[in-house]
Parts: sequence; C-alpha cells; structure tokens
Amino acid sequence: MAKEVFMPKLGMTMETGTIMKWLVEEGDSVTAGDIILEVMTNKINIEVEAYETGTMLKILYEEGEEVPVNQVIAYIGEKGEKVGESANPKSEKDSTSEEPIEIREAKIEQKADKPRATPSARKLAREHDISLSVISGTGPKGRIHRKDVETYLANQVSPSNAPIDDISTAKELTSAAAKAIKVKGMRKVIGDRMQQSFSEAPHVTLHSEVDMSEAMRLRGQLLPMIEQKTGLRLSYTEIILKAVGVTLRDHPMVNATLVKDEIHLSAQIDIGLAVSHPNGLLVPVIREVDKLGLADLTEQSKTIAQAAREGKLLPNQLQGGTFTVSNLGMYRVDQFTPIINLPETAILGVGQIKERPVGVNGEIVLRPMMALSLSFDHRTIDGAPAAAFLTQLVETLENPAHLLI
Amino acid sequence: MNTKDMTYSEAIRDAISLKMRTDEDVFMLGEDIGVYGGAFGVSRGLIEEFGPERIRNTPISESGIAGAAVGAALTGMRPILELQFSDFITIATDQIINQAAKIRYMYGGKGKVPMVLRTPGGSGTGAAAQHSQSLEAWMAHIPGLKVVQPSSAYDAKGLLISAIEDDNPVIFYEHKLLYGMKEPVPEDLYRIPLGKAVIKKEGTDVTVIATSVMVHKALEAAKLLEAEGIEVEVLDPRTLVPLDEASIIASVSKTGRVVIVHEAVKRAGFGAEIASVIVESDAFDFLDAPIERLGGKAVPIPYNPELEKHAVPQVSDIVEAVKRTLQRGKEV
Repeated sequence: MAKEVFMPKLGMTMETGTIMKWLVEEGDSVTAGDIILEVMTNKINIEVEAYETGTMLKILYEEGEEVPVNQVIAYIGEKGEKVGESANPKSEKDSTSEEPIEIREAKIEQKADKPRATPSARKLAREHDISLSVISGTGPKGRIHRKDVETYLANQVSPSNAPIDDISTAKELTSAAAKAIKVKGMRKVIGDRMQQSFSEAPHVTLHSEVDMSEAMRLRGQLLPMIEQKTGLRLSYTEIILKAVGVTLRDHPMVNATLVKDEIHLSAQIDIGLAVSHPNGLLVPVIREVDKLGLADLTEQSKTIAQAAREGKLLPNQLQGGTFTVSNLGMYRVDQFTPIINLPETAILGVGQIKERPVGVNGEIVLRPMMALSLSFDHRTIDGAPAAAFLTQLVETLENPAHLLI
Repeated sequence: MNTKDMTYSEAIRDAISLKMRTDEDVFMLGEDIGVYGGAFGVSRGLIEEFGPERIRNTPISESGIAGAAVGAALTGMRPILELQFSDFITIATDQIINQAAKIRYMYGGKGKVPMVLRTPGGSGTGAAAQHSQSLEAWMAHIPGLKVVQPSSAYDAKGLLISAIEDDNPVIFYEHKLLYGMKEPVPEDLYRIPLGKAVIKKEGTDVTVIATSVMVHKALEAAKLLEAEGIEVEVLDPRTLVPLDEASIIASVSKTGRVVIVHEAVKRAGFGAEIASVIVESDAFDFLDAPIERLGGKAVPIPYNPELEKHAVPQVSDIVEAVKRTLQRGKEV
C-alpha cells in the first residue's frame, strides 16, 4: 500500500510551502528518517524526512512549485506498485501519522479550509495557474469570485513590473551588462507578502517627532550597567521596543491581528523586529516585550538579530508577532512609511536621531529629534486610536521614567 | 407589415381567425366559447364569423373535451381546445398524457395528434386556490407534449400559429393577468418557432430567466436596478418544451450570474430544470455566484388579495435576488 508524503505544516500560520529541492528521484529507495526534500516556508528552508521506508514511487510536484500544506506531494511504497496521480487536498492531518489512507478516500475527503470559489473564479485561476489559496475572497464566507482573481492578477502583472523571466529571455531589449535575477525563494516570499499587505490592507501612516534627550540620558546611565551584566551594548532599538511594549498595554486594538472577519486582541505583546539579511528582510519576534527588563530585552534582541543575520532562526521565531518595529535610524533616513506585516494591525517605522532646531518655551533650541511613523490597517482601527497610541509612545520616550511605572 | 395595437387576448383571437380562414381543418371546442366568448372572452366574435360547426360549445367535461380533440386530431383535424382554467387540466390529464402524448410514438408515426390545448394559468385575480395555479411543470415532464408560455401579445400570436401548425400536441399556457396587455402586433400571419427564446432586454451583469407574467416583473426590476447601475439581461424562454438551451447558456456564459423566476411553486418547479441545464452545460465555468431561483411559495394560492400577492414572486423579490448574486444585498 503506497503511503502519501504530505507538504508538512510547520507552523500555525503556514498555508503553503515551496519545494526547493528533491533529494531523491522516482525509483530511489528511501528509509524512514532520510531527508527527501527541502521545503521553503516563511523564508526558512526546512529539511523534510521520510516517514516510511520503501521506494519513491511518484513525485507529484517539481522543484519551485508552491503547494498548500497537507497536500500529497509524493508517494512512497513498494517497488513496482501503482499509485494514483491525483493530488487532491486532504483533510487536516498530521503528516507524521502512520495510519494508512486509501487514495480513493483522499479524493472524496473535503478539506475543512478548502477555499470557497465560484466556478468562474476557478476557471480563471486554473488558466493562470494560480492556487486559490493565495487569493483572498470578498464574497460571503470568503468566497472567491472572478473579480478577486482578476484583482490578484492585476496586482501580479502590471506593465511596470513585468515578470523577470520575461526580461531575461528578451535579451535584445537589455544591454549586455544587465543581469536578470529570478524572483524565487525568500525574495518571492517577501514580494508576495508585501504585495498582499499593500493591496489588501488600507494603509494610513501617522508621523510624529520625539525629543530623544531624556532617552539618550537614560541610555547613557544604563549602557555600562547592562554591558557589565550581559556583555552587550544597549541600543536605542531596545529602548524603543520597550517603550512600544509598555505603551501597547494601554492600546490592545493596536496589538490586534485581523483574521478573516474577526479582530483578535492578542493576549501577549510579541513584537517583531525587522532585521536585514543578505537575502532580504526577516522579522524575528521577541515575546512579551513589555515584561522584559532592558537587560533581558537587549540580550534577546541582539541574540535573535544575530540568528536572523546568520540564517539560524527557527520557524516559530518568525511567527506570531502582534506588532512590528522597523528601525532605519542607523542610516541617514529621516522618516519612511513602512508596510504592515499582516495579519498585524500596525508597524512602527523609526528614523535617525538628528539635532534639529525646535521651539521650547518660546526659544529655538537644538534637540536630538527622531521621527516615528506608524502605519496602521484602517480596516481594524481608525485614525484617532492609532494617534492616541502614537502620542502616548512619544510621551513615554520623552519621559522614559514612564517605563518604570 | 402593418401593425395594430392588440391586447394579448385579441392577438390570440387573431391567430385563431387567420388559421381558421385558411385551413378548414382548424376548429375550436370548449365550454361557453360560442356566444359568451369563453371564460375570458378570447373567442368573442368567432362564432359570428365561423358558425357553431367550427366554434363548438361542449358540455362541462374537460375529459370529454380533451378526448374529443384527440379523436378529431387523429382523423386529420387540427382542434384548438380551450379549458376555462388550467387548474381543470387535472380532469383532462388521462387523455393528454396517456393518449395525446403517446399515440404518435406508439403507432410508429402512422397516427398523429396535431392539437392545441389553450388554457389560462396564474394567480392575481382573486380566484382562490382552485382557479389560480401554475401547473406547467407537470406537462413539461411528459415526453410527447410541447409546452408554450407566451408573455406578450406579439409572442402569443406568433407562437399560437406555430402551435396550430405543429403536428404534435401543444399545451399553450396563457396568463389571466396578461389578457388585457396591449402592444403593436403585425396584422398578417407570422410565426415564432417553438423552442426559440427571446432576450427581452440586454444586459451584462445578471441574467434573469423569467416566464409568462414574471417576464414583466423582471423587466420592471431591471429598470429599477438600471438606476443603480446594474445591467440586467431578461431572457424569456417562451417555450419550456422544446427549451432553447443554447440561448440560456450563451446569456449565462456572458453574465456569469442567474436569477430564475416563475410564478409556479418553486419546489420541483421548471426553474429547477433550467438551473440544472445551466450547471450541466459549458456555462458552469462562467458562473460567478450561486444560481438564485424564485417561485411561488409551497402553499395553495390564498383568497385574501394581500396573501395572494405574497404567495408569488414580486418585483422587489427579483431586485433582491439580483443583488444577492452581485453580493450587494443583505447577507443571507
């Protein structure tokens, strides 16, 4: 009896995985525990082991293909055994299960979260080779209509971002020195996520400036103490993270996630920190930031950022954030409008600290000013509550004694 | 071709007169169709022109009328029989179903039954449960019968002429509320083929497939929806058997959304057949919303005029159904 190999579900939010590499071919014998393929999800490569011993009978998806989780991707069985070729979505099922399932059953089983779509939408998606699971439906119960597929397609291919594949084949149009880079792997994941967030969530960005004088003084006092305790240098990033964490306690709506038609108020304050990696952007998550002292926070933030840069993050370190901070203050960037990390509600963009003339009690004085830009999803919250959060955050950073309350 | 404003009943009378003048085999039979002119006055004046030999009053026996018509048709005549209310077709069904519909098949084509059974259906006149039904689905179920439901004077005349000339038994469902409706109709003889639908109004967003009096309600709904920028296509199949599947499939493939509306009770009504034809066809791949089906409630038509109205689909029901297919209405 042939056993299915499923696309593993490696995290709560994982919906699809991309097959990066098959390490075995059809006809090869495999032993349980052998690594048979590499899957990329959420910007991380995972090696997938075989759970069965036998012969790789059939590989249903090629390298580079994106497959919904729990979908059959291959069959392992006895040499010469015949298997069906259909790749039907299966019901939610742990891929580690040893219980044999007949292929015939797999065909009729309905996956609980199978996308709802009209025949017309399905036809259009089929014609363009798009998985329905990547399209968000606007109909009742999330039903995908033709218009939703059209919107998705319109966002995918616009004249200004023609597929890079096309550019590389149209050599006569490009100069000899031009180089084409295929959009795949992490770049593709980032691109898809950004595109989805940008087109799905109505973004509004609020800007404010913080006088960082007091925060600088605090950092000056804490720096040697924390360095002595942890060997690590406290940076403004940690002070901002701490201030954001504490402020979020009073603003649960800003710390919410939007899941289908429900706003989930998060029980914890888990803040994602945007970290640059040679291959692209990573957002590892620091848990319960509001409860961490600055020494612990510094340690965690430095460790996780280091792991991110070295590509050593675990999947769960990239998941479950409730808010994101993106700091470009180390560059000569005054301010920028960040894109929300869905399903989170808001993201804070941090600019450089720079001495600027400001009016204080009727006099113009120079103060170290820093821009904060809060982008929020207007589906989840409105301008006033977002502004209230930003205001309190600015006040907290200007009077860091608030962090002790 | 000269046209003249005619009511639906005048157009039917005109079709009968034109055929009777040119074809001696055509004659009428039914209850009180002579001097009285029939229950709804359709045959008024015909006895004066054609005499009692060809405009034949019968006893009050639908079974007898239908049986006499089948017999006459078998001998080569082309009878047009009138039943005062289509509800009484129950009494004539043995003759229609077990004789008229089957004889041509059972005798290998050696005998045929070229008869037309004209009868008014529908509610809206306060005639209560036994005089207000829409029973066309019963006849549409029987192989060997053709079923026609004209919704306008022009269609009624052209379709009735085709029905009289057809060599098969044709059940010709008129509607009580349509008898007084007027429109320009050509004075000469013309034919509308059985099995050819008509697009009463072109549109791009939703196809409303409506029969008989519901065609007019659909057109009214389409006008209201047009004001909101919704382009409704109104399709009238005109004949249920044969059904113009090609026109339905073409329209649905264009719009991707369908509302089917008839006055007959929705449960097991002909709308279910139309919906099935659509999903079994190539149009399936173009459907972009569930098919909406509107029909009468599963109750005998009430005598109370307000309740009578609520028992069958109204313009507002069609407007809401169209919006549901476009997801602009209330969530259901």
